Amino acid sequence: MTTLSDLAQPRQDYSYGFMDAYAKRELRRRILKAIAIPGYQVPYASRELPIARGWGTGGLQVTLSLVGPESVVKVIDQGADDSVNAANLRRFITRMSGAETTTDTLKATILQSRHRIPEEVMQEGQALVLQVPDPEPLRGVTADMSKAHQLHADSDYGQMWLLLYEQLVRYRQYIQGASYPSLVNGLYIISPSPIPRWDTPKLHQAAHLTLLSAGREKRLYAVPPYTDVYPLEFSDVPFQVEDQQGWVCKTTGVQNKFMNELPQEDGTSQYELSDSGYAEKLVKNEAVGATYYDDQGDFYYDGYLKPPVQPSL
Amino acid sequence: MMAISNHQSNHRFDAPRLVNASPLVQAVGLSKRYGAIEAVTGVNVEAYPGEVLGIVGESGSGKSTVLRLLNLEEMPDSGTYTLDIPSVLGEDLYQLDRFARREVQILNIGVVYQNPHLGLRMRFTSSGNVAERLLITGERTFATLRQAARDSLAISEFPLNRMDDPPRVLSGGMQQRVQLAKALALKPALLLLDEPTTGLDVSVQALVLDTLKRLQRERRMTIILVSHDLGVIRTLADRVMVMRHGRVVEQGLTDQILEDPQDAYTQQLVHAKL
Amino acid sequence: MYVAARGGEDAIQHAELFYQAMLGKLTPEAVKLIQQQLPFLLDKVMGEGSLYAPDLAALALAQTGGDLYEAVLLLRAYRSTQPRIAYAEPVSANEVLTVRRISAAFKDIPGGQVLGPTLDYSHRLLRLDILDGIAEDEVPVAPEAENPAPPTYPAVADWQRSQGLLPTIEPDPIEPVSIPDVTTDAVLFPAPRAHRLQALARADTGGVLALGYASMRGYGLIHPTVNELRLGYAEVELKHPVTGAAFSAGRVRVSQAEVITSGGENGKAGYQLGFAATMGWNEVKLIAASTLDMEMNSQEPHPAHSEEFVMYHTEPVEASGFCIHFKLPHYVTFASSMDSVRKVIATFYSKDEKPNQQPETATEVQP
Repeated sequence: MTTLSDLAQPRQDYSYGFMDAYAKRELRRRILKAIAIPGYQVPYASRELPIARGWGTGGLQVTLSLVGPESVVKVIDQGADDSVNAANLRRFITRMSGAETTTDTLKATILQSRHRIPEEVMQEGQALVLQVPDPEPLRGVTADMSKAHQLHADSDYGQMWLLLYEQLVRYRQYIQGASYPSLVNGLYIISPSPIPRWDTPKLHQAAHLTLLSAGREKRLYAVPPYTDVYPLEFSDVPFQVEDQQGWVCKTTGVQNKFMNELPQEDGTSQYELSDSGYAEKLVKNEAVGATYYDDQGDFYYDGYLKPPVQPSL
Repeated sequence: MMAISNHQSNHRFDAPRLVNASPLVQAVGLSKRYGAIEAVTGVNVEAYPGEVLGIVGESGSGKSTVLRLLNLEEMPDSGTYTLDIPSVLGEDLYQLDRFARREVQILNIGVVYQNPHLGLRMRFTSSGNVAERLLITGERTFATLRQAARDSLAISEFPLNRMDDPPRVLSGGMQQRVQLAKALALKPALLLLDEPTTGLDVSVQALVLDTLKRLQRERRMTIILVSHDLGVIRTLADRVMVMRHGRVVEQGLTDQILEDPQDAYTQQLVHAKL
Repeated sequence: MYVAARGGEDAIQHAELFYQAMLGKLTPEAVKLIQQQLPFLLDKVMGEGSLYAPDLAALALAQTGGDLYEAVLLLRAYRSTQPRIAYAEPVSANEVLTVRRISAAFKDIPGGQVLGPTLDYSHRLLRLDILDGIAEDEVPVAPEAENPAPPTYPAVADWQRSQGLLPTIEPDPIEPVSIPDVTTDAVLFPAPRAHRLQALARADTGGVLALGYASMRGYGLIHPTVNELRLGYAEVELKHPVTGAAFSAGRVRVSQAEVITSGGENGKAGYQLGFAATMGWNEVKLIAASTLDMEMNSQEPHPAHSEEFVMYHTEPVEASGFCIHFKLPHYVTFASSMDSVRKVIATFYSKDEKPNQQPETATEVQP
């Protein structure tokens, strides 16, 4: 005799990619909308995941809704594959999807990152998923999300420019560190997530797709391939990336890539490549791809970065 | 005497018809309620190019509400408002969408508030406060912004060696000059002044009034000035409108109204000041 | 190619072992004991976790050693994996199987005041004799009443409505499936009332208490009176997907609070209500939440009582998660900031001179 339990589906503790199918479908729809309107923050019903909020749940939801058995996933935090947090996310993604993992930027189909874009030029067909703590570039102008929403709708960005004006008057230079506010497709200002200024230009006319997702704040936005991204800068005072002239990686001996500064007991500093996957290839003498900045520190997109100008008041 | 309607009063004292000029500002039948309170009822405002119109009345008379309506900060419950400006000729500004309305306001209307906190970012530089007006319109060259801020502050007779001090550390009179510079930065067709010198020392007040008078003379600007102070009105206004309980009780040439008020309330007001 | 566990992954596993060593052995019996003996803790976790599952909540508490935020996160994360297969029928206060129901607004109310299970009027004395091993022989039982209390009670607010003190409201004919759902919709402001009440139901007890208390203490406009506070059991009534027949899938502990204040809508004479309800019994949270519910309706609420502020900042998983995320490395962003600061120092100061005073408006656009 057939019993009821024979007829029932076997119990499955977790579905593929962890989230239930409805949640993944919603995410995919929001992602499509974000791609259709570059830089627009699409609200979504962010799900709780088994890692704490603020630890990359936004990026993780996007990755989990995109990942498949054929995917090759790379996860970095501060540029490093082997940081505790990156390792934890990578472990979770493979546990829930069976996807391959890699530390090689060029082999990844999905690259989830916190605070960095790799040094090697990403290609068409790759997706960069950036974890975003605060999607709202206007937070410094208004803490109120509804008001910020209105300002975006009106392209009312005068106050953002005013902050830059004030910086030039006070300091003769822009003093923004990471998360440098940038204009996408000539319309919306975004926070490129807390990547260093060094990485911001890499978003401009990029061959790859960038998805930025904030789980806690429940907003995601995108920079589609080959889209204009310009950091906010006055026409006569160009934006500047971090100045790491003369910093040499202690392990690989390379220069003109983004470095971690390691304070030494004698008061000096040593430097090492922030991009651990790139460093690994150099150490193993493996072939590396083209990089955004060449060995002289020149950016691959001609004329995008300009020499510094100190404004006169 | 109190029963004179706005309609009547508008016709009793015709505005001075300047040579072939049509009014720059024409607002008709403005009414605005806040809950149970009728702040403004059926008010008409006309101002001609180069004219200074004073609106006088005690606090609660509705004069500041009229100014906010003319500044497009608030929408009336009823009424129409046109500005004689090519881009919006003949259009009721209250019917424009929010975006278009904001553009009209930014490009054509400057405002100076009694309370500088309403008009200024107190912790930013004074020059930045002025430059922000140009930033809103898309100016992206730092040197141009500096020059424009300097020019605008200079004509407002603000000491340029303090242009990068924040208003927070400035005196009340200086703050009003920054507000004025900000209001003038985009060379607006219409300048709205809401009790611009109230709360300042008498001597400072006189200096700020001098600046305003000089600017008005030199630039032939249209100004609508709200004040409870008949002295200020007498100094600046060509024509005056007296408001009480949200209605216009009397209007006409400033000398005429202040020397020979017809309305009982205006008489009271004028005599109290004398 | 699967990258074998590297330093990072080893470290994670060892850290987890240290943690587990502190908790001792986890057994079904230990979980059962938590479920039986800590119902109020369970209710707090289930309410904030927005998942009514006493066994899973007890497991979450056992697994996290009683770290409430971690336990709530476990439930919420588990919840994310479960599809929604049905919508229960709305529960009316009049149908709740009520075990405690009081009103501070009246000495007596139709149906009577029912004190029920509470420590409100008990002396809060530690029972040290229990530590001495003088165990209770059996579970204490209250003496049987002469007249058993009825299982359900009318709502106090209904009486006030019949008196014209409160506006009458028509029941909303919306189907349960169409009710806006804060867990599956993107939240925008002003939020639908359903979102607001759901957010309060899931909110952090401590967070709601802090904001509610601030409001009651004078930062708000309202002096709340507890109109009705109710603890009980609600039937989870479902419709059979094929036959459409209604059936009960079980009972859940629920609680609700209603506070009342004078002054009707649009300045009319009368009263208005603030309301909050949650799964599980959590009185302090609901009194605070219902006060906030009313406060958010006021014309210009104090910034800390505005809808956006309350809903964003009382979300337990988000608030606690963001707070602890500052433990993560931030050395790239810090390096970027240090680059700017060094350039400014180089612009304004000679090599040995250190700036001692920051100029004004030393603000970055965003941290």
